[in-house]
Amino acid sequence: MIRESVTARPDWRAHVETDLGFAFHTIDGAPYWDETACYRFTAAEIDELEAATVELEQLALALVDRVVDTGEEALERLRIPRPAWEAIAGSWHAREKNLYGRFDLAYRGDGPPKLLEYNADTPTALFEAAVVQWDWLQAVHPERDQFNSLHERLIEAWKNFGLRRQRVTFAAAAGHAEDMGTVEYLRDTAVQAGLETEFIAMGDIGWDGQMFRNLNNEPIGVLFKLYPWEWLVREDFGAHLLTGVAKVIEPAWKMVLSNKAALALLWEMAPNHPNLLAAALEPDTIPGKVVRKPIFSREGANIEVREGDRVLAATDGAYGAEGFVYQSHVEMPDLNGNFPVLGSWVIASQPAGIGIREDATPITRDTSRFVPHYFE
Amino acid sequence: MKKSSSIRLALMGSAAFALSACGEGSALPQDARYYPTIEACSADYGAQPCAEAKTLADATQAKEAPRFTQKQQCEAEFGAGNCETRQEAGGGSFFTPLLMGYMVGNMLGGNRYAQPIYRGTNNSAVMPRAGRLFNIGSFGAAGATAGAATSAFRPAAQVSEVSRGGFGGTARSYSTTGG
Repeated sequence: MIRESVTARPDWRAHVETDLGFAFHTIDGAPYWDETACYRFTAAEIDELEAATVELEQLALALVDRVVDTGEEALERLRIPRPAWEAIAGSWHAREKNLYGRFDLAYRGDGPPKLLEYNADTPTALFEAAVVQWDWLQAVHPERDQFNSLHERLIEAWKNFGLRRQRVTFAAAAGHAEDMGTVEYLRDTAVQAGLETEFIAMGDIGWDGQMFRNLNNEPIGVLFKLYPWEWLVREDFGAHLLTGVAKVIEPAWKMVLSNKAALALLWEMAPNHPNLLAAALEPDTIPGKVVRKPIFSREGANIEVREGDRVLAATDGAYGAEGFVYQSHVEMPDLNGNFPVLGSWVIASQPAGIGIREDATPITRDTSRFVPHYFE
Repeated sequence: MKKSSSIRLALMGSAAFALSACGEGSALPQDARYYPTIEACSADYGAQPCAEAKTLADATQAKEAPRFTQKQQCEAEFGAGNCETRQEAGGGSFFTPLLMGYMVGNMLGGNRYAQPIYRGTNNSAVMPRAGRLFNIGSFGAAGATAGAATSAFRPAAQVSEVSRGGFGGTARSYSTTGG
């Protein structure tokens, strides 16, 4: 894995905006899409990443099975509220299909990829991985290959969802450009799979006492929500959603995995697995440097790197009320002051490609930049 | 190759907006209103626009009206007493929900809107649309003659109060963190 400095296409801004509809290439004045660099992998490295992704998804699904079987004790350790338990077990037993997930991996090519966390419920950075980096490679080196069949697999996954003629209502929190872009892209792939779709802001979803309604008061039968389950179940309409009155994507069983306490349960289930880092729910059980992460959080908020009682690094934020998970610290690859995290995607539980975000610090935050890749 | 062989966008990008705009369209027009008869419509808009609306609704009716071979099947879907028998042009007959009137809209502009309305179970007002049936309201009183007046029809929003804002609150509370 090598980071290469390359020349950006002179007209890239206008091109990605106009031709791709990529609106959030710059966030708060700072570049987010960054094509002044790219990552080059060998085919063997890509095979290793793909195999690790298969392995991690198998572990994740095995964990859901185990948690649903174990019941109360495991669900309490995951801090999942009791009203959601039945929906989780029900959706798992009914084998409700899932669309996507992103494993964030620490990897530099000199050892197995290590799982930092699994964004199983509301992963973003999808459009830039699926379309923008693909479009970049086609423009600069069309003969080269890229680990990225996300777009094709998304369309295929929608076709296999068994939704027939049901309309899919896509929902996200209003006013978040990145979330809106991601959801619009997912809608795009659903449309190409022949589905009828619509968009609604989360706050506009209606409830009439029996079913969810869109702004025309038509029933919402299938809801794709780019909005964390752990938030939904605690909000006013959460109880209605848990009755199963609408089919929800991602399914309720993703609550088991979208939760960072799952990292500790994964380690208990498969201790010393080469793609896992030691993790525990109690402090002081993991020797050496540990990273303390809130059980529920987004975008690298409220992370602390600790050694014993000493806090070596920390990020701020508003998360952590539900508790923390402690994960063995892994040295992030440092490429001239750039710290990449590899997001390895699964679509319908199959490996589908990678997207790389790098930050100027070892903790990837919402200030990170998306950098394209290729392999040979 | 491990990369997508081709990528086309349907909604995003500049070529996409036209597609997006015509892919939409489940909304009723702003001025949509139920009329039990075309005469009632004519009182508001005049004979000509309402005759045109009827032609439009009749075409939908001929194409999209639910058809059943047995009365029980029809009544299971639409409720007892809400089905009638019709003759096929070729001679056979079938059962179909009672036509209760028309939902018409865009009467003053182009793109006229007109759909047949049936009565479903519990006096609901049911509208076919692009091969599907939508529950769009209810009729005020029971019985075969109910709904004979415009005032007897109540749109869905007034029948069962739809509350909103029960989702999305957490995102707002985190908005200052840039999440």
